[in-house]
Parts: sequence; C-alpha cells; structure tokens
Amino acid sequence: MKQIKFEDTLRLIKKYNLNFIDSKNIKSECDLNQLKFPIVMKVASEEIVHKSDVGGVIVGIKNEEEAKLIYTKLKKISNKIIVQKMAKGKEVIIGMKRDAQFGPVIMFGLGGIFVELMKDVSFRICPVDKKNALDMIKEIKSSKILKGIRGDKPVNINKLAEIIVGISELSMKEDIEEIDLNPVMVNEETAIIVDARFMK
Amino acid sequence: MNLDKLFNPKNIAIIGASRDESSVGFGILKNLTEGCVFNCEYCKPFPGKIYPINPKADSILGVKCYENILNIEDSVDLAVIVVPARIVNRVVDDCINKKVKGIIIISAGFGEFGEEGNQMQEEIVAKLNKAKIPMIGPNCLGIIMPHHNMNASFAPTMPPSGNIAFISQSGALADSIIDWSVENRYGFSAIVSYGNKAMLDVYDFLEYFDKDKNTKVIALYIEGVKDGRKFIEIASKIKKPIIVLKAGRTDEGMKAISSHTGSLAGSYEIYKAAFKQSNVLVADTVEELFDNAKALANMPKLNGHVGIVTNGGGCGVLCADYCSEMGVPLAELKENTLKKLDKSGKMHPAYSRRNPLDIVGDALPERYDTAVDTLLSEDYIGGLIVIQTLQSITKPEEDAQVIIQANKKYPNKPILCVYMGGKFSKKSMKMLEEAGIPDYNDLKKVARAMKVLMS
Repeated sequence: MKQIKFEDTLRLIKKYNLNFIDSKNIKSECDLNQLKFPIVMKVASEEIVHKSDVGGVIVGIKNEEEAKLIYTKLKKISNKIIVQKMAKGKEVIIGMKRDAQFGPVIMFGLGGIFVELMKDVSFRICPVDKKNALDMIKEIKSSKILKGIRGDKPVNINKLAEIIVGISELSMKEDIEEIDLNPVMVNEETAIIVDARFMK
Repeated sequence: MNLDKLFNPKNIAIIGASRDESSVGFGILKNLTEGCVFNCEYCKPFPGKIYPINPKADSILGVKCYENILNIEDSVDLAVIVVPARIVNRVVDDCINKKVKGIIIISAGFGEFGEEGNQMQEEIVAKLNKAKIPMIGPNCLGIIMPHHNMNASFAPTMPPSGNIAFISQSGALADSIIDWSVENRYGFSAIVSYGNKAMLDVYDFLEYFDKDKNTKVIALYIEGVKDGRKFIEIASKIKKPIIVLKAGRTDEGMKAISSHTGSLAGSYEIYKAAFKQSNVLVADTVEELFDNAKALANMPKLNGHVGIVTNGGGCGVLCADYCSEMGVPLAELKENTLKKLDKSGKMHPAYSRRNPLDIVGDALPERYDTAVDTLLSEDYIGGLIVIQTLQSITKPEEDAQVIIQANKKYPNKPILCVYMGGKFSKKSMKMLEEAGIPDYNDLKKVARAMKVLMS
C-alpha cells in the first residue's frame, strides 16, 4: 500500500465536495511573498506517510522572514512543500479502512490523546448516511467536548457529518484502500480538512 | 432452497449408524430413538420413522438396519451422515439418487482439514447445489428441535422446549449449553451447530427461524462471518430480535497496517459497528447471551418506566443503581399510587413510599400481591422487577404464585424476577421459570435483561 500523490488526493477531495483548507504549492522563496500570516508550512510528498514524525509540519509561522528560514529547513526533507492558512477549532480524525469481511469502514474520533491514548473512537460500515454519521459523532465518550464545555460554543457537527458521508461515498466508489483525515478542524461555523492521507 | 424438511422431517436415515456404543454413529441413533444418551425429563423418542444405514448389522437398538439408503422403500426427508470423510462423497451420491430433502454431514475431515479435505467439501457442495438439496455441516454437532422431539445430533441430551433458536458455530459450546439448560430451564425452539458452513450459513438460519412459529428470539454464537455485508443486509431484515456472542475479539483480524486508523480498527470493533447497524444485540458472555435471550423470548417489550418491588432495602438500592447506570428508566411513584397502597392496609408502616418500593422484610404473599398489582395497574409503569430475599418468614413459593398470576393479568408488561438465594429458593425459581417468568440470581443481570427489553 502506498500513499497517493498530493494532487490526486486533492482531486478526489474536490470530486466529492469535501471541504479542504486552501493550500498553495511553494516552488521557491519568491512564493512566500505576500502571504497572509500566520501560516502552516508542511511537506507534501507521497513518500512521507507520517509528516510530523519527520518534523515535516510547522505551525504558527508569523512572518515572511520566519517562513523563509523554515522553507530552507523543510527543503532538506522534501522538495514538495505547501503552505496553508491556520485553521481554528477543535481537532477531530476521520478515517477509513477496508475490512476483509465488511468492506469500507469509517472511523471517527477526537484528535490528540482521545484517539491515541483513550482509543475513544466509533466505527460504521459504509455506506454511512447523515443520521448514522451524526450518531457516530455523538457515540464517542468525548463528544461532550464538541457540544461545548466550560463556556465553549458547540461546534457544527452537521458539517462534520457531511464530511463523513462524503468519505463514505468516496470509499464505496473509488479504488482507495485507506484514508486518514487528520486533523479535520471543526468550529461553530464549519468543518475543514487540514491534512489528508489516501493510501492505495 | 426449502429448509423445512431439514428441520421438521417426517423420517430420518442415519448413514453410519453404529453398534459401537462409544461411537458418534451410535450416539446419534440413540438420540433419535430415545431422545438422548444422558436421560432427562425432556427426552422423548423422535416420533417419525428412523432408518439406520449399516451394511453389517441387522438391527441396532431394536431398529431394523438397511444396507443402503436406496434400499428404503419409502421416500426419505432427512439424511444424517456420519461415515468417515473419504466415503462421504459416495454416500452423498446415494442421497441425491434417493432424492432426500435435506442432509446433515456430521463427519469431520473436510475444509477444516487441509487442501484435500477442502477439495472434497467443494465437490460435495457443487453436487448438492445442483440437486438443490440443502446441507448443514460438515464437521458439526447436528441439530436439535425440542418441539418436534428431534435430536439429530450427538449432543448429550435434549434441552427443554422454548422459544430461543440457538445457532452456534461451535458444537462443543452447544453441548455444554444443553446440559446447562436442563438445569436452568433455558427453553429452545432449535439448536443448530453448523460446522464448516460449506453450504448453509448463518444467513440462511436467520431467515428460516425468523419465520419459524416456535421461535421468538435468535441467539447466535459466531466466530466470524464470511460475507459481512451480506450479514448486515440479512440481519437488518429479520423481524425477531437477534442477540449475538462473538468470539475472537482481541487478536483476530488485527492486521498490521500502515495507517493510524487501521491500527485502531480491531475487527471486534468493526463487528460491533455492524451489529449496531443491523439492530443485532450484543452479549458479552455465554451467560449474558441466554439471560437476555430468555427475557426476549418470554416477555413483551418494555414501554414506559420500571417499578421495583423488594422485601430488602439494600437490594432495591443496588438494583436502582444498575438500572440507572444502564439507562433503564425508573418510575417515580405518584401520590395516587401511594394512596392506593396506604388504603390497602397491607403495607408495613415503614414501607419506603417511593421506587424502589421496599415492602419490608416481613412481607408475606398478600403484601407482595398488593404491591405488584398496584404498580402494574398504573399506566405510567411499563414493567416490573420483583426482588425477593429469603428471610425466616418469607414464603417463596406463594410469592412466586403471586407473580405468575400478575403475569397472566398484565401480559403486556414485562415482569423480571430476582429470587436472591440458593438451596431454599430453588423450588420457587423453577416455578417462575416454568411459567415463563425469567428469574435471575443477580441484580445487575436483571437490570441488563430489562435493558434489552427496551430495544
């Protein structure tokens, strides 16, 4: 199984009307002019499966000078580099894998320790409709966090459910083995995919 | 394919019936002629004709033997095959020529036994598919249909008849459960061990028992299904409740895969998602499977809130804890209900006046009767848990009678019991179970059983 090219990932994401954060390819230092800071800079090579593990994701870059410095550093890891706007909200993960018995299965969980340590995730066999998608969002123990605690406003779980339904549809039709949308950022208004890994 | 003659045949041929008392071929014949090998009150001989096939014997257990199934003059509905694997193929040819309506292959040594066995199995299945003859097995325990007094298996004995169809991928587990069911009175409409599922698989049994008039709930023990999507599709269409115990939950199917998602998706999680999506209830242990199955088989669905009647305060509190932990809604007793209880003159002055309704340790059957009847007569109370602790003055059998009467009077409201105790409560527990009122020896179990009646 190999990761597909970033451009192909984006093409599929567009085809299924999934909300992906604006990303710009950086070919040279000149491309770093006139950006609206703060930004995120990351490597976008299909060779690298776990970007953060190799130090390939730098968030909160404040100005052009800092961006140029980081660009030089990242160039050593990969020559495919993109910049993205900083997304606001809570981190969630949406994944898909193909099960030998059940076919494509969608996973949902909250980002960070909730997935890694607490294994607080929910699963559904595709196709997943909107109702099922909402159920799987509400099913995880940490879903209270999405409803808003300690004065936080509730996030828009409808927009999250739309991404789940879209990924389900994509998985039923396209020849993709695994998907990892990590993270998807969700806030009161919207949900947006910040990083996507499609394996074939 | 029509499975009727497989589960309800007018006569049965046992190919490989044996005189050797230590053989499976003898055990199956005895299970048919007498109902069991280990005798119990539920064993009765199979009422239809039985044809042992054994070319070397004239008769076994007093039943005339035939050299070949083709020598039987009458038509044959069901053939049970228990000859060594290498001659099964030839015997199946005879069965096809005889135009039997169903086959159970007990013999082992097929798909579970290497490439050669698998090839034999595939050959047999291809033939039977062509002849449109349904087959269970190979490598299985057989089937038991208590309502028809049919024990076409090598299980030790016959379970009581009831409304649970138990479909098991493991034969040995079914064996133990049968022994257990005799002791605990779990009643079955069918026990099916389906072995290598070479032809008929769990989907076929779900469809069949959904239509079977003796079955109210289908209990499954599965290790895996071949086609998960087909399972979801069929299980979703089944009208009767299905409850499943899945084995192989930890390391099975856990494949090393590269992405993060994959590493978390242990296959049991996926099975659980599939069960949820097809409205299949999940049990965690063998005991839970049947605890919950007997509630579903004997009691109506719970509509509304639950009342608890108890002669012990602590037990009532614990039961309320378990109910609320599991999301079983407890009723708040209304002023009017309390008035009725007060007026009856049967309550102890210190009775709890709230749910759980503690009618105090000196409660006699009359007081149980008043409490149970008053609560069940209220529209806002949808079901009842009745707890009895055995105290020096308690009359367990008479209390059981009170509950049995209440169950007749309120057939649309579930009543579940917890007769907490052992030796001296046994007789009353049996009375309850025989009247179709599920009894549990533990407060958590009763709360869980009430929970499944909500679904």
